[in-house]
Amino acid sequence: MIKHHPTDALLTQYCNGTLPASLSVAVSIHIDMCSCCRDKVEAIEASNASEVFINNQEDFSEQIDLEDAGLLESIMLDDGIDEVYEVKKQEVSVNEQSYELPRALSRIAHSKFMQMGKLSRSRIALDDGALRSSLLHIAAGGEIPEHTHTGFELTLLLAGEFSDESGDYVAGDFMLLDGQHQHTPVTENGCLCYTVVSSALHFNKGLSKLLNPIGNLIY
Amino acid sequence: MVSQQPSIRCKPRTGNYTAMPDTPSKELADALFAVATKRDKKAFSYLFAYFSPKIKRFGIKQFNSEAQAMELVQETLTSVWRKAHLYNNDKGAATTWIYTVMRNASFDMLRKMKSNKEDNISEDIWPLVEQNENDAHEFSDHLEDKQIKGYLDKLPQAQRDVVRGVYFQDMSQEQLAEQLNIPVGTVKSRLRLALQKLRNEMGDKND
Repeated sequence: MIKHHPTDALLTQYCNGTLPASLSVAVSIHIDMCSCCRDKVEAIEASNASEVFINNQEDFSEQIDLEDAGLLESIMLDDGIDEVYEVKKQEVSVNEQSYELPRALSRIAHSKFMQMGKLSRSRIALDDGALRSSLLHIAAGGEIPEHTHTGFELTLLLAGEFSDESGDYVAGDFMLLDGQHQHTPVTENGCLCYTVVSSALHFNKGLSKLLNPIGNLIY
Repeated sequence: MVSQQPSIRCKPRTGNYTAMPDTPSKELADALFAVATKRDKKAFSYLFAYFSPKIKRFGIKQFNSEAQAMELVQETLTSVWRKAHLYNNDKGAATTWIYTVMRNASFDMLRKMKSNKEDNISEDIWPLVEQNENDAHEFSDHLEDKQIKGYLDKLPQAQRDVVRGVYFQDMSQEQLAEQLNIPVGTVKSRLRLALQKLRNEMGDKND
C-alpha cells in the first residue's frame, strides 16, 4: 500500500498550476496510482472552479467589449474539433529489465540511460529551470551511498521496491526530502524511480565522498 | 515553497464547497453539451459571455497583463469550442471542466514565459480525456528514423501551412497571419494544435 503522499499544500499548488513542471509531472503520476489523492485533487479543482467562476463577487458588468465580440466570431469560424487521442504506452529497457512508463511521461523525451555500476540514469527533457528530473534505475542489490541535498530531492517509486533508514517503499510512494535529511536507499530486487532534484547531491561518508564530483551524474 | 515534508497518510477531505444558489450551473452544462453535440453557436455565445470576463480577471491576476489575460481568454475558449466533446458530465460540473481547461492554458503560457518552452505539456500533466487501458506498444526505434515530413503530411492542411511557415520558412507568426489572411490568434492556436498532434504522433523521441 502507498504510504507516502504529497502534502495538501503541494496538491493545491498542483491544482492551481503553480507547481514547477517536473514536480507537477510527479504529482500527476502519483495520482494516477493513488485514488485518495486523486479524490483530493478533484475536490480542490471543483472548489477553485467555484471560486473563480461562481462565488466570485467581483463586478463583471463591463461585459464584453467589441474586441471580444470579434474574438467570439473568430473562434467559431473554425469548425474543426480536437480528436480524442490515446497516449501510446511506452516501454523502457534498462539493465535487461523492461518497464512501462507512466502515462504522464510517455510523450516527454528522455535521454539514453547512462550506467554506473548498479545505477542507471536517464535525464527527462523537461528543461525546468534549476530542477532536474530523471529516471533512475537501481539494479537488484544496488544502493545509493549516504547523501544529503543542499536543495530538495523528490523520489517517486515507479516500480519495484527499496528501503532506507526510515522504512520500506512501494510503487507510488512519493518522498520529498530537504537538505536536513540523509538517506541510503537500498533495493533488493531492483527498482525504477522518477526523481527531481534542485541541486547536486552531497555524499558524506568515507570513500563515497570521492563520488561528490559525479553527484551531478547520478541524479 | 516546495520543501514541505511528505504527508504520511492520505486523509480524504470531508469539507465540501457549496455553490451559490443562483448559479446557472444547469444552463452552463446544457450549453456545453449543445456545443459538443451540435456545434451550437448560440450556446457557445452564452458560455463566452459568462466565462470570458471571469477568465480575463483570472488572467490579469495571473500574468499582471491585460494582453496576456486576453490571450488566456482566447486560448481557453478556443479549447472549449474545440474540445467540448471531451467533457464528461458524469465526472463533474461544467465549470470545473472549464476551470481545468483554463488552468492548463495558463500553465502552458507561464512555462513559455519563464523558460521559453513551447512544448505545451499541460495535457501530459492534466489529461482532459481519461485514457483507456490498451495493449502496451513495444517501444520501437524505427519511429526515430522516419522523416518528420511523414508526420507533417498527416496534419490537416491549415495546420501544416502554419508549421511550414514558422519552422521551415522562418516566418514570424505575424507575417504568416498576414500572408494567410487570418488573425494572429488563429495562427497561434493552429500551431499549438499541430505541435500537440506531432508530439503525439512522434511519441517519445528517446534521445
